[in-house]
Amino acid sequence: MDKTQFLLWVSLVLFSIGLVGLIVRRNLLVMLMCMELMLNGVNLSLVTFAQRGGSVEGAVMVFLIFIVAASEIAIAIPIVLLLVRHRLTLDAGAYTDLKG
Amino acid sequence: MLEDLLLILFAAAAVAGAVLMLLLRHPMRVALALIATMISLGGIYGLLGVHVIAVFQIMIYVGAVMVFMVYAIMLLDVRDPSFTERYSRLLWPGVAACTVLAGVLVGAAWQGKIPLFKGPGDSFGVQPFSAAFLNDYWLYFELTSVLLVVAVLAAVAVVQLRSTRRG
Amino acid sequence: MSTHLLGLIVALPLAGFLFNGILSTRLGGARLGETVVNLVACALPGLSFVLTVVCFFQLQASGKPLIEATYTWATIGGLRFEVGFWFDRLAAVMTLVVTGVGTLIHIYSTGYMHGDKSHARYFAYLNLFLFFMLLLVLGRSLLVMFVGWEGVGLASYLLIGFWFDDPAKAAAGKKAFITNRIGDAGFLIGMFLLWGTFGTLDMDTINAGFLGPKAPAMSASLVGLMLFIGACGKSAQIPLHVWLPDAMAGPTPVSALIHAATMVTAGIYLVARMSGLYNVAPEASAVVAAIGVATALFAATIAVAQTDIKKVLAYSTVSQLGLMFVALGVGAYAVAIFHVVTHAFFKACLFLGSGSVIHALGGEQDIRKMGGLARRIPVTFVTFAVATTAIAGIPPLAGFFSKDEILWFAFASPQGGAPWLWALASAASLLTSFYMFRLLWLTFFGASRMTPEVEHHVHESPVSMTGVLVVLALLSAFGGFIPVVHYLEPQLPLPAVPEALHHFERNLIFVAVALAFAGLALAWWFFSGDASRAARVRDLLAGVHRWLTNKYYIDELYEAALGRPLTWLSDRVFLQLGDRTVIDGTLHALSGAAQRGAAALGALQAGSLHRYALYAVLGVLAAVLWSLRHG
Repeated sequence: MDKTQFLLWVSLVLFSIGLVGLIVRRNLLVMLMCMELMLNGVNLSLVTFAQRGGSVEGAVMVFLIFIVAASEIAIAIPIVLLLVRHRLTLDAGAYTDLKG
Repeated sequence: MLEDLLLILFAAAAVAGAVLMLLLRHPMRVALALIATMISLGGIYGLLGVHVIAVFQIMIYVGAVMVFMVYAIMLLDVRDPSFTERYSRLLWPGVAACTVLAGVLVGAAWQGKIPLFKGPGDSFGVQPFSAAFLNDYWLYFELTSVLLVVAVLAAVAVVQLRSTRRG
Repeated sequence: MSTHLLGLIVALPLAGFLFNGILSTRLGGARLGETVVNLVACALPGLSFVLTVVCFFQLQASGKPLIEATYTWATIGGLRFEVGFWFDRLAAVMTLVVTGVGTLIHIYSTGYMHGDKSHARYFAYLNLFLFFMLLLVLGRSLLVMFVGWEGVGLASYLLIGFWFDDPAKAAAGKKAFITNRIGDAGFLIGMFLLWGTFGTLDMDTINAGFLGPKAPAMSASLVGLMLFIGACGKSAQIPLHVWLPDAMAGPTPVSALIHAATMVTAGIYLVARMSGLYNVAPEASAVVAAIGVATALFAATIAVAQTDIKKVLAYSTVSQLGLMFVALGVGAYAVAIFHVVTHAFFKACLFLGSGSVIHALGGEQDIRKMGGLARRIPVTFVTFAVATTAIAGIPPLAGFFSKDEILWFAFASPQGGAPWLWALASAASLLTSFYMFRLLWLTFFGASRMTPEVEHHVHESPVSMTGVLVVLALLSAFGGFIPVVHYLEPQLPLPAVPEALHHFERNLIFVAVALAFAGLALAWWFFSGDASRAARVRDLLAGVHRWLTNKYYIDELYEAALGRPLTWLSDRVFLQLGDRTVIDGTLHALSGAAQRGAAALGALQAGSLHRYALYAVLGVLAAVLWSLRHG
């Protein structure tokens, strides 16, 4: 197997581990970090394909994804802070207001 | 030869970091594992020849995102039920579902239903990168700055900072 | 030939119904006074009578039936349903009776119903009845006749229960309508069979079809029996006779018009109309004759023991209708129609006379509380006596001629006449004479058994009532000389009596007259003076008397055998089991299942973020599997 295939496997593994972590971990911040891990895994596969294609558009798209990831985390963490301010716990099991 | 070895090394480090993320209890240690994964990914990008992306990975992801995350972890008291009980009630169903999903994808790839490419790739440097951004994709470049401003505003609005000056 | 007058004859009473029903009743503000109502209600049927006479002469002149095709009711696919009128000799006779006697009774009603609080409604209903009866009689096809059939049933219900504030009277109206409907089921089945065989319901075509060379595929007897069931319901024969005595709850002119002269003769008219069918249906004719004579005897025995003046007349009507069916059963259709005509005269006179008596006594109907009225209300007495003599069959009044013909053909007709039929019919005639003269004696003769206040108020009825009584009495006296049978002969030929029996005819006439006088004598012997002999016989045969007074407990039998099981069925099976358990239960179960399903599905949304993420993963897994399978 060559480089491209190998990196795609790695990307799959990273993404799956991030997905599992999202479901199994209780801490809100850890769940956020798992989402970042998923994003990174997908990013790796994007970079692999971009580098194969040779054109620069791939790099442009990767850069844009960086920006979006940064803004996303910029919003997500304040939201978590707000939630914790009200309920004073980072346990995801305590936030069941979406029930019903 | 060396390149292939380094590639495998970095990949292994990334995967190890990811696995540690699942197993470690303290969120700070989880953050550090994630940082390790990200740095390894940066290394992989460098080995692929896309140095621009590798630099950006370290600068933006590790330097901004993870720093922010570490800051948030330090801000909050982490000795709460999520510290004692790492895993949610859906531990085994979750692991099972994701294993099945992964297995399905792997099986499909093995049978050739999902094409995985072979072949060499090209590398590109800073110069073509910036030329593309400033010539063809300048609109999206500007839009990203708008996006970042909006993100800052949203963060402020979410946290509801108030003016403390009175009188 | 075609004409336009027939539709007008039918439509005039309808106009009266609409006018009085809308403008004169409380619906329209009840602004018009009694005089206007009376005028409209009596003038329109009178006009119909005049037009009928005109049509009669037209028929005489042309010799062929008058046909009027009014309009097409419906066209369904290739089938056409037309509304048409047909005026031949039979229809002429019936229409003349209906409009003539009908107009007379309308005039009588203006006196009888004077001062009633629903005066206008009464006349509206009476006109409505006349409209439907004319539709029945003049209809060309069984369909139009059936519309009239149902309509007169409706009018009868409305008029029997006219004073509906009394629940007993309203119940009597219901009983009449429901019993009629049971008969109508037979009528409808007969119509379906005829439609299936001939493709048309025009009666002339059907009769021709049965009499023609090629016998149709349908059994004439089956159709004849079905139609006869309908006739039983309408003409109050066993076993559907129970409604007629109860129908006396309505105003007396209603009893005279509907339940003596016209509506109850609709069954006779139906069978006579379908004579072509019955001529080739010996089994059905035998059934008709048998039920007719059984009813005649049965009702006559009950009438002997009744004490309400109207109930005696009601059972008398049932008995006389039975005799008419005997005539129909042996193939003497014209004779039955002749008896319809004479019966209309004298029975209407009797009913209206009883109405006059009731009016004079201020509402008293029990003959045990009457007596000695002959000198107090002379006109009523004389007319009543004439009509009683007519019904008893004493010559030369009308009843003698028609009843004698019936008895002769019951004996001698080759289509079912037999000595036993004649004997039973004669027994019924003897009883008729007996109980009618009993009624006359107890009501008008002897010492007065009235209460003082009633006796003080006894007065003769107004001219509007007595005038009609006189006219009807004259018709009862001389109506026997109207050559009805001879007139109908070209259309309804009499059965040919075999030569061997001809010499019996004179003897049988003597026997009939003797029986009539015997009835008169027996009644005088038992009931004159203080009726002590009758009282002694009554005490001697107390059990029999109780059976007769209670009408052989037929109503109780129907209630026990039919009424109670049906009520049980409705309540236990249909209401509790069917409606509550099955239908409501199914609906409740469905809604309960929906609620439980919703509750179960609601448990999926527990608010746990982990769970939602897991659902997302499962969704992605499903999508991947599906896309891999279907490429």
